[in-house]
Amino acid sequence: MRFWDNGTRDTLVTAGAWILGILWLMPVLFAFWSAFHPAEFSTSFELFAPLTLENFTRAWSYAPFPRYLMNTFILVTLILGVQFVLCTLAAYGFARFDFFGRDAIFALVLLQLMIMPEVLLVENYRTISNLGLLDTIPAIGLPYMASAFGIFLLRQSFKTIPNELVEAAQVEGISSLGILWKVYVPLARPTYIAYGLVSVSYHWNNFLWPLVVTSSVGSRPLTVGLAIFGAPESGVDWSIITAATVMTMAPLLVAFILFQRQFVQSFMHSGIK
Amino acid sequence: MTAIILKDVDKSWGSFQALNGINFQCDEGKLLVLLGPSGCGKSTTLRLIAGLETPTSGTIEIGGKDVSYLPPVKRNISMVFQNYALFPHLSVAQNILFGLKARKVPKPEQKKRLENAADLLGLSNFLNRKPAQLSGGQRQRVALGRSIVAQVSVCLMDEPLSNLDAKLRQEMRQEIRSLQQRLKMTMVYVTHDQVEAMTIADKIILMKDGLIEQHGTPEALYNRPETAFTGNFIGNPPMNILTPDTLLMEAFSAILPARISAEFHQVGVRPENIRISENRGIKAQIETIEYLGADTLILCRFGQQNIILTVKGKTHLCVGDPLRLDWKQDHIHLFDTASGKRLGNVEKDNLS
Repeated sequence: MRFWDNGTRDTLVTAGAWILGILWLMPVLFAFWSAFHPAEFSTSFELFAPLTLENFTRAWSYAPFPRYLMNTFILVTLILGVQFVLCTLAAYGFARFDFFGRDAIFALVLLQLMIMPEVLLVENYRTISNLGLLDTIPAIGLPYMASAFGIFLLRQSFKTIPNELVEAAQVEGISSLGILWKVYVPLARPTYIAYGLVSVSYHWNNFLWPLVVTSSVGSRPLTVGLAIFGAPESGVDWSIITAATVMTMAPLLVAFILFQRQFVQSFMHSGIK
Repeated sequence: MTAIILKDVDKSWGSFQALNGINFQCDEGKLLVLLGPSGCGKSTTLRLIAGLETPTSGTIEIGGKDVSYLPPVKRNISMVFQNYALFPHLSVAQNILFGLKARKVPKPEQKKRLENAADLLGLSNFLNRKPAQLSGGQRQRVALGRSIVAQVSVCLMDEPLSNLDAKLRQEMRQEIRSLQQRLKMTMVYVTHDQVEAMTIADKIILMKDGLIEQHGTPEALYNRPETAFTGNFIGNPPMNILTPDTLLMEAFSAILPARISAEFHQVGVRPENIRISENRGIKAQIETIEYLGADTLILCRFGQQNIILTVKGKTHLCVGDPLRLDWKQDHIHLFDTASGKRLGNVEKDNLS
C-alpha cells in the first residue's frame, strides 16, 4: 500500500533537504554576519550595518592563532601522510596476499571501526604518557594513524582492481611493492582523495582528544585554541569569537568549495556515497 | 627447433585435478592453438607456460631451458590478456612501454621500438590517448603492441579476441596471424572458438577435462578426428554422432562393418558429407530448416535419432518432407562408445 504518489514524495524529500540545509547553514551564516560587523550588531540584524574587519585583527592579536593554525596544519598533514602509508600497506596485505589468520585479523580491524575513540580516552592518555609524548603534535595524531576505516576503504578499492592488470605487471617483472606503487595506488586514486577529505576534515575539527592531551600553545590545534579563547572566564565577545571561528573553518571551507566537484566525483567512484 | 616443451605436466588445486599428464611441443615460429570448451584446462596450460602458475609436477621448457619454477619475467615471454590488461591511468605509449621501462631498456631504444610497433599496428595517431578513449579493436592493438615491443620469441595469448564483435574478430585474427608470420614469433593462442582455431593455427591442441584429446594440424582434426568429442567440437555444424541401431545398420549394411553394435560403437558423419539421395540410404523426415545464405541446415529425424546435413543455397524441401540420406564409406568415422576413441579405418575393417 502506498500513501503518497511519487510527486508528493519528491516534494517532501526536497523540503526535508532544504530544512536540513538551512539548519546546517544558520550557525555558519551567523558566524559570518557577526564576524564582519561591529559588536553591537552581533545579535541584531540590520541589513545596512557597517562592515568591519576589526574583529579579525583583534582576535588575531588576542590569541596565538597563527601558531594554532600551523599546529593544525602540521597535525592533519602528519596524520594523513602516515595514514596513507600504513593503510595502503595494510590494505594491500589484506586484499592481495593469502596468509594464515588473514580473515580473523581483518575482522579485528573491522571491530575497531565500531569503537568510538572517546571510549579509549583514558587508556590512550596513559599510553601517550608512557611514551613521554604528552603535549606534542604526534601525541594528538598517534591514536588515529592506523585507521581502520582507511584500511577497510582501501582494501575494498584494491579488491576491485582486475587481477589481469596485476598479472600483466608480473609478466613484465614488477615486484610486489612495484605492483602496489604502479598499479594499485594509481588506480585507487579516487579512494585516496575521498578518504583524504574525510580524514582532514575529521582531524581539523577534532576537539576532545587534543584538548585532553595538549597543554601549551606549542602543540594546541585551532579547535582547542578557539575553545580556550571563547571560554566564559575570558569574557564572551561574540564578534571576536565568531571572527576566530571563521578563521578556523575558512581554509577547509575554501578548499571544499574549490574542489567540490572532484570530491563529489571521488565519493561516487570510491563507492562511499 | 623446439621452442616450448611440456613434459608430464600436472596441475591440481586441492582435490581438483585441472591438468592431467600434459605432453606437447611447439616448434619455433609456429602458431599453436589451445582449443577446448570452458573448464578444459587450456587457460591453465597457458598460465603454466607464462609462469603465473607453477605445475604440481612435470617440467616446462622454453627455448631449451627448464623454466618450470622460474617467475614470468625470467621466461622470456610476453602475454596478451583477454581483457587487454591496459592500465587505465597510462597513455597508449606508456602502456606499450610499460615493460621496457620496468626492464630499464635505454630511452632511445624504447622510442625506436615504440615507433616501430605503432607503425605496424596503425596506432601512431593514438599514442597520447588513454585506453578509455579507444575502441575495442584499438585496445586490442595496444595490448599486441606491448607484446611486440618486448621482442621476445614466445608470445602467449589468452582468448585475445573474445571481447570483440564478430566482424572485428575476423579482421583481428588475420592481423594477428600475419603479424606472427612476419615477426616469426612462436605463439601459443588460447581460444574456445573452433573457427578461430582452424583459421590461424599451424597446430591445434584440443583439450577436454584436463586432458589432450588431439594434437595435430587443423586438417587432421577435421578429417581424422581421433575421438568422437573432437569430431563434434571441430566443424560447424558439428559432426553427427549416431548410434548404429538396426535402422542405420540396415540402410548402410554395404559400407558399415557388420561387427559394430549399437551398444559399443558410434558412427560419425559430417553434415557436409551427407547427400540427399533418390533411392539409397536411410529414410528420414525433416524437422527444421535453417537458411544461412550460402548454405541451408536441415535437421532430420530417423527412428530415435537426429541428424543434421547442409546443402548448398536454398532448398525447395519443406518441414515434414520425407527424404533419403546417403554418404560414402570414406566419410564414416567409427568411435568406441566407452572410450570415445577412433576405431581405425573403416575400409580396412580392422575392428577387433
